[in-house]
Amino acid sequence: MNNSPYFLQPASVQSVMLRVLLALIPGIAVYVWFFGAAILVQIALASVTALLAEAAMLKLRGKPVMMFLADGSALVTAWLIALTFPPIAPWWLTVVGVLAAIVIAKHLYGGLGQNPFNPAMVAFALMIVAYPSLMSQWPAVGFTEFLPQWQAIFGPRQLDAITMATPLDALRTALHTADARATVAGVLGSSASFGNIGGKGWEWVAAGYCVGGIYLLQQRIITWHMPAAFLATLFVISGGFALYDPTRFVGPSFHLFTGGAMLGAFFIVTDPVSGCTTPRGKLIFAAGIGLLTWIIRTFGAYPDGIAFAVLLMNIAAPLIDMNTQPPVFGHKRKAGGRP
Amino acid sequence: MTDPLEIARRESSVLRISVRTAAIMLAFTLIFTAMMAGTYKATEPLVAASALAEKLRLIAEVLPPAQHDNDLMKDAITLAPVPALGLDSDTRLWRARKGGAPVALVMEAGARDGYSGRISLILAVAADGRLLAVRVTAHKETPGLGDYIDPKKDRNKARPWITQFNGLGFDAVPREKWRVKKDGGKFDQVAGATISARAVTNASGRALAWAVENSDRLFALPADGRFETQGGKP
Amino acid sequence: MSAYKDIAWNGLWKQNSILAQLLGLCPLLAISTTFVNAVSLGLATILVMMLANFAISALRALIPYEIRIPVFILIIAALVTVVDLAFNAFLHDLYLVLGIFIPLIVTNCIVLARVEAFAAKNGLRAATFDGLMMGVGFVWVIGLLGAVRELVGQGTIFSGIEMIFPTLTGIQVLSEDYPGFLIAILPPGAFFVLGLLIAGRNWIEARANQRRLEKRLHDHPSSANAASA
Repeated sequence: MNNSPYFLQPASVQSVMLRVLLALIPGIAVYVWFFGAAILVQIALASVTALLAEAAMLKLRGKPVMMFLADGSALVTAWLIALTFPPIAPWWLTVVGVLAAIVIAKHLYGGLGQNPFNPAMVAFALMIVAYPSLMSQWPAVGFTEFLPQWQAIFGPRQLDAITMATPLDALRTALHTADARATVAGVLGSSASFGNIGGKGWEWVAAGYCVGGIYLLQQRIITWHMPAAFLATLFVISGGFALYDPTRFVGPSFHLFTGGAMLGAFFIVTDPVSGCTTPRGKLIFAAGIGLLTWIIRTFGAYPDGIAFAVLLMNIAAPLIDMNTQPPVFGHKRKAGGRP
Repeated sequence: MTDPLEIARRESSVLRISVRTAAIMLAFTLIFTAMMAGTYKATEPLVAASALAEKLRLIAEVLPPAQHDNDLMKDAITLAPVPALGLDSDTRLWRARKGGAPVALVMEAGARDGYSGRISLILAVAADGRLLAVRVTAHKETPGLGDYIDPKKDRNKARPWITQFNGLGFDAVPREKWRVKKDGGKFDQVAGATISARAVTNASGRALAWAVENSDRLFALPADGRFETQGGKP
Repeated sequence: MSAYKDIAWNGLWKQNSILAQLLGLCPLLAISTTFVNAVSLGLATILVMMLANFAISALRALIPYEIRIPVFILIIAALVTVVDLAFNAFLHDLYLVLGIFIPLIVTNCIVLARVEAFAAKNGLRAATFDGLMMGVGFVWVIGLLGAVRELVGQGTIFSGIEMIFPTLTGIQVLSEDYPGFLIAILPPGAFFVLGLLIAGRNWIEARANQRRLEKRLHDHPSSANAASA
């Protein structure tokens, strides 16, 4: 479909990035509706930090600042960080995360196009390991009042009243106790944070991201390979285990519509720089992320597994690409070797 | 070092070379083993003293040494595996007395329902049925999240989480309230890391109940005796 | 005397066991959580390296070439055991912290590497000095790593010093409210900081090379042109 060495539609980085930002808007709108405007504060904070850091690094590296700054890639990273962090995270958590993404994960590796790891996921992994408790405090469902959220971000923190664990976290925590009475059905029925399909509210945010993803597909900014392979793998594995033991493993709708699955499928896994480039490679890459995400979510210690899964597959991406190069036209396969 | 070619020229038979090499290897082994053995002998008393001091320091964290006047190491008994304490092997239980009167029992306990693996505890139970203190001696909880059960990792230095059990008995906190608040009990937990707190709280409650129930028999047993759990193994 | 200067320069910078040769990373990454831990393990490593280089240089005439590696390992293992027992006896608290990593000095490739590459071919004084300098090269890097990780991770420096000098205490450098960048103390943090240190060394080396080239260009324009062409 698109394994030709030329672009079907020669698009500038800037126009691609702008359309990615546009595609995020439906998801963000639903997010604000269910969880309040705090996420907008975080997006603004992340954007300003990212642009300043990007400008500083470009200047240090002796690159034309305005030209690269305008490409919008720093903004996409900033928005993704804001959307994966808790909306009521203290301001410095977001700022440090963005700095780590732009300075370390992006520019120390050579800037846009050179980074082996997805910068937004580096930020998430770094901060969740460094501050697991702050990164696990999410606003309670339906708590959209702006002032306490603003105070949680900038002021003295009075958290407990307005925070709770994410549905994914709550479910895993409940199932993780030695208390054998906890079952998926029991846990899902017991808490207000679970909706009909996934996490309450989160299922609609995920649907919003899905709409944006379809727009990106239609615009040919991403191809179907990665989202399809990622979501299908997650679906098949979680479905299989849920059939095997529905009391201990939660079903696919929960996995797909909770946490960062939809955001990941269309906006994170599809990162063109740190992922695979061959069509077959893309399928393997994204399926690997799906598999690892399920494993880490089910057996791991941290609230969501997508970031770690993406980073692990980023390491494997060059190897996958090397082994999935389509044969050059007119050349026969060499005996005994893979093409 | 000797050139291999030169050896071959000087010594005619392969056998002789092998024997010579083996003898040298043996000599080195003997000399350096003797050196290790000598050091071991020389440091043995110091090492034993350090190990004892370490054990006493651990006990002193739950039971201040001033509260008793007997030698704990001499007044200890062996516990057969006690399911109520979460123990599945033999452990030691130390008995503190002052002027011969029972003061407290110091014992180990474990919780298997921590977030990742077993949490090992040491606790002291006073003769009047109060839990003097409990400490975590080993755990694998998530760094920065569940590890506040260890006062060294607790960010609240002034009043670490685990000190809230100090001096409480079932008269102050009824048995059914000896739980974390999330489970309807009395004890605090840190939001987002309930499992670790729940494991320690429940384990200390079980251990306290067991100690209160068996206190008289534990104190009465002769030193170095062995305590078999009632209704335990047939 | 310049031979000794070379030995020192090699150990401290040019052939630095960590920054240049990347040897002995396992204890380096595992123990450098605080400055005191790091330097303590580093000092134990210096001791072992000096003793091993000394012993093997002294015995080198007696060691047949064919079995040199087993004999080297035997000697190193025996010396490490002695150091381990000494730590257990005299610095018990520290011994509990360093734990398995003292016995693991045996497996630190840098010890065997120096014994094989240097001590087996050089005289007593030079060999012992080489052990010292390689060890010091290890200590300053592991110490720096430990200091950075401790400061960033928990905002203190010298914490745990009371295990060695009971009268001293650690210093709280950053405010008590500093939330602690936990990842610096966890294993990933060790890799991050080490990566930055190695990058720093490469940067300094690259700049030095650049300056040398410019100097040569300045002194002998023709030869430099020839070289670059």
